[in-house]
Amino acid sequence: MNNPRSPAVAAVRDAIPIFIPAIPFALVLGLAIVESGIDPLLGWSSSLIVYAGASQLTLVTLLGEGAAVAAAVTAALIVNARHLMYSAAMAPTFQQQPAWFRWLGPYLLIDQVFALCMLRINDDPRDFRIYYLGVGTTFWLLWLITTAFGLFIGPVVPLEWGLGFAIPILFLGVLVMGVDRWPKAGAALVAAGTAYVAADMPSKSGLLLGALAGVPAGVILDKFRQ
Amino acid sequence: MTTFLAIFATGIGTYFSRSLFILSLANRRIPDPIRRALDHVGPSVLGALIVTMLIGPDGRVMMGYAEASALAAAGLVALRTRNHIFTLMVGMSVFWLVRALL
Repeated sequence: MNNPRSPAVAAVRDAIPIFIPAIPFALVLGLAIVESGIDPLLGWSSSLIVYAGASQLTLVTLLGEGAAVAAAVTAALIVNARHLMYSAAMAPTFQQQPAWFRWLGPYLLIDQVFALCMLRINDDPRDFRIYYLGVGTTFWLLWLITTAFGLFIGPVVPLEWGLGFAIPILFLGVLVMGVDRWPKAGAALVAAGTAYVAADMPSKSGLLLGALAGVPAGVILDKFRQ
Repeated sequence: MTTFLAIFATGIGTYFSRSLFILSLANRRIPDPIRRALDHVGPSVLGALIVTMLIGPDGRVMMGYAEASALAAAGLVALRTRNHIFTLMVGMSVFWLVRALL
């Protein structure tokens, strides 16, 4: 742990700045749980059981509005459908990992863990595993703590600070750092353009359409590169 | 009880979507063309996710001068420094500055 280059230290050092913009999100979730009328402890247990902020917010809000359980669960799972793509993108790297980690890893596979760990998929398998677990458990602990705090202080923090904008900024940074050949930048641009055009579609389905358009675009651009 | 069932079902479904390919492709050879295509999943999801995060409640992308200049500055800093903290600090400073000036 005293080696500054160790993957565990790097993991915690990378995870903390990336977590900061999730704090207002945790507070909003706390506020939503309180306003939904759901028992606060039960609402908070979704941080442990679901562990997916946007999905938890969707579920809690819809249940609070009196939606049917099936409808609320379906909507929450559609919001989470992007995780299928993370799972596909990570599958080749996880082939080199022990079985216990293939079962535990997906539980921790949130947006930020995916983004940070995609930059490390060519690392030595053991280093990758330590880094992934470091980022994953740091985020997991901080999320459990901040969403619990959110139950109490969510109702009193000003939202006009626009701290939520830090999330797209950090994700852009992760995207830029992950582009090691120009067709990947092309794929990202096509995906972003498609999501922009499809912005008004229901359930944020532009996200899925954008990603589905970006992958073939990247494959075609790779052919030009060769 | 129904609330707990809803949370539990969402938890199972979420784990399923995160684990599906990692577990099902664990011991299979992934053909090279698919492996190369998977290279583009990360950048594509991130590109689409950034735009989706900027969608406001009215279903339109909220992208004014403050947002555009902050993203441009953050992209440049990320490219030059490859450091998450610098990227965050420069991006948010430009965002707040331009928003205050306009």
